[in-house]
Amino acid sequence: MASYLSALAVLCQPVNFIMMYVCCVVGCVLGAIPGLSGGLGITLILPMTFALNTNLSFAMLVGMYVGGVSGSFIAAVLVGIPGSAASIATCYDGYPMTKKGKAARALTIGITGSFIGTLVSTIVATICSTFIADIALLLGPWEYFSLCLMAITMVIGLSNGSVFKGLLAAFLGLWISCVGADMVTNQLRFTFGNTNLYGGINVICLLMGTFALQQVATSYAKGNLDMPEVEAGSLKGFGLTLKDFTDNLKTILVSLFIGLWIGFLPGMGSGVSNLIAYGQAKKMSRHPEEFGTGIDAGIWATEVSNNAGVGGAIIPMIALGIPGDSTTVLLMSAMTIHGLQAGPMFIKNNPLLANLIFATLLVSAILIFITELFTKRWFPLLLKAPYHYLYSAILVICFLGAYSASTSMFSVYLVLVFGLLGIAMEFFKMPGTPLMLSFILGSKIESYFRMGCSYAKGDMTTFITRPISLAFLLIAVWSVLGPVISKAIKGKKASA
Amino acid sequence: MKKINRTYVMGVVFILFALFVFWQTGKIPERLVSNEPGPKLFPYISAIGMIVMAVLSMVIDGRKEAEENQAGAAPYLDSAGWKRLALIFMECVVFCIAMNYIGFWIVSMVGMMMYICTLKSGKKINMVFAIVLSIALGSLCYFGFTRGFAIPLPKGAIWSKLGIKMP
Repeated sequence: MASYLSALAVLCQPVNFIMMYVCCVVGCVLGAIPGLSGGLGITLILPMTFALNTNLSFAMLVGMYVGGVSGSFIAAVLVGIPGSAASIATCYDGYPMTKKGKAARALTIGITGSFIGTLVSTIVATICSTFIADIALLLGPWEYFSLCLMAITMVIGLSNGSVFKGLLAAFLGLWISCVGADMVTNQLRFTFGNTNLYGGINVICLLMGTFALQQVATSYAKGNLDMPEVEAGSLKGFGLTLKDFTDNLKTILVSLFIGLWIGFLPGMGSGVSNLIAYGQAKKMSRHPEEFGTGIDAGIWATEVSNNAGVGGAIIPMIALGIPGDSTTVLLMSAMTIHGLQAGPMFIKNNPLLANLIFATLLVSAILIFITELFTKRWFPLLLKAPYHYLYSAILVICFLGAYSASTSMFSVYLVLVFGLLGIAMEFFKMPGTPLMLSFILGSKIESYFRMGCSYAKGDMTTFITRPISLAFLLIAVWSVLGPVISKAIKGKKASA
Repeated sequence: MKKINRTYVMGVVFILFALFVFWQTGKIPERLVSNEPGPKLFPYISAIGMIVMAVLSMVIDGRKEAEENQAGAAPYLDSAGWKRLALIFMECVVFCIAMNYIGFWIVSMVGMMMYICTLKSGKKINMVFAIVLSIALGSLCYFGFTRGFAIPLPKGAIWSKLGIKMP
């Protein structure tokens, strides 16, 4: 508790507080604009944090994270286009409600739902992370290897599109993580005599290329730079009573649990939880036929669950060193850049920073709730933001970030290479998240595997003879084979 | 015009790449540490994994895509889209090369303007605002990083050759 209060005091220092708030708002704006996201914001500010102290850096990054997730419902409600995958299901009832002339009400439910989701999940994350980290300390390299493997396969199994293409992307990410000097023998791998590659591939270059550059180039090529007109009507007033809240209490509680649990599972995030929570709310409803026509429960379910994923995803990142979703992959990259090792020892070794992350989640949630409530009437303006200015700035910052990551032009050229890779992956319909996740976890997987072999005197069967490791491996196998088998069964049933 | 099966192309590209990885992995000198699989294991795993997944994807996803193509699925990009993609990417290449020779400050301002003119896609823009924005962002980034964060950015090789001192 003392450490938490110290963290809160650090966060409330004027510079930290102002920068966190600015990042919250910027994240919210980026989250609101379809095609952009809080994740992109984190990618872009990551290089700026090199020169900042760790506390300020994480206050900014976590603020951006909360703002990004929170803002994604705005476009979903006002124009029926989700700001990110986290708000896909918000479109189902949010936009019809807007079309009925109740945009103010839909936005207030979104704002309040987001706040409840983040607040409760943050409190749970703050309490649970220490316990989970303590349990995780009992695990050995065998279990960690299996856990990391499970995290990657779960992302692939649940991502849209082909499982094989997801696995292909994961193997490519694994190979990229092998570039550079080997951690045990110091042998150079795939450096081709280039000294810039001795230290491995810089995560910033991969992020800027496959994420930012690819996003701008393909959006421009597809001509996706126009937003439909917003016809929101009046946005004045709160538009919600206490009764509206109590009437939907069951939906809120169930969605909270779904969001927390799915966020906690490695690799799954709010992109999945909002859809599951929406489906569950529909199942629980006495009037499921009303879903999709603009009812409160649909918005409550999605917005509470996707924001509950924030706290849920932070737990495995801090306690186990496994990112809970694609944005926490970026936060883990930031930890690596700042010389920190996420995992069971993180809270013990860095109690102030760990608590600062939790405190930032909490304070950001409160700040963004108040800000969104008071600025609701200007939300339509966000969606009129001209893409040609935004994307131009992103491209400039993208190359600036890559250069500042290593003060070398080689990193800048590497962004171009990874940009091409990102475009090719998009063309081949390959998901990007498995590539990023296996790149981030690749070196961990390799080191845990080699440590496990070394500790067991070369006996690789230890990975399947230890029960927890075996359980993780079985889940990993099932998460890849499960969707393939269920597809095959469905196909057979359909043809029969 | 017959549509390209993207999955088949992807499969071939990745198989060739994986074979290259396989060949390169064989060249890594072995320095064995006892009870330890060595530095070649994971590159081999990734190469084999890429080959297996590329083949499976070609067999399963490729067939599905061929059916979709026959049913008249929309292409990834039309010819104008490909031209736009090539244009924006070329601009990025020019930006990066120029950054080294002319320096980040000037290139960021000119580059930002160039990107705005390209990305506006025929829309009318306020040129004064665009110029002010380009100068402001370029200068903010350059001086913010070099003075604020003490992170050096390229000053431009050409200026030092001409004997001009850039800030």
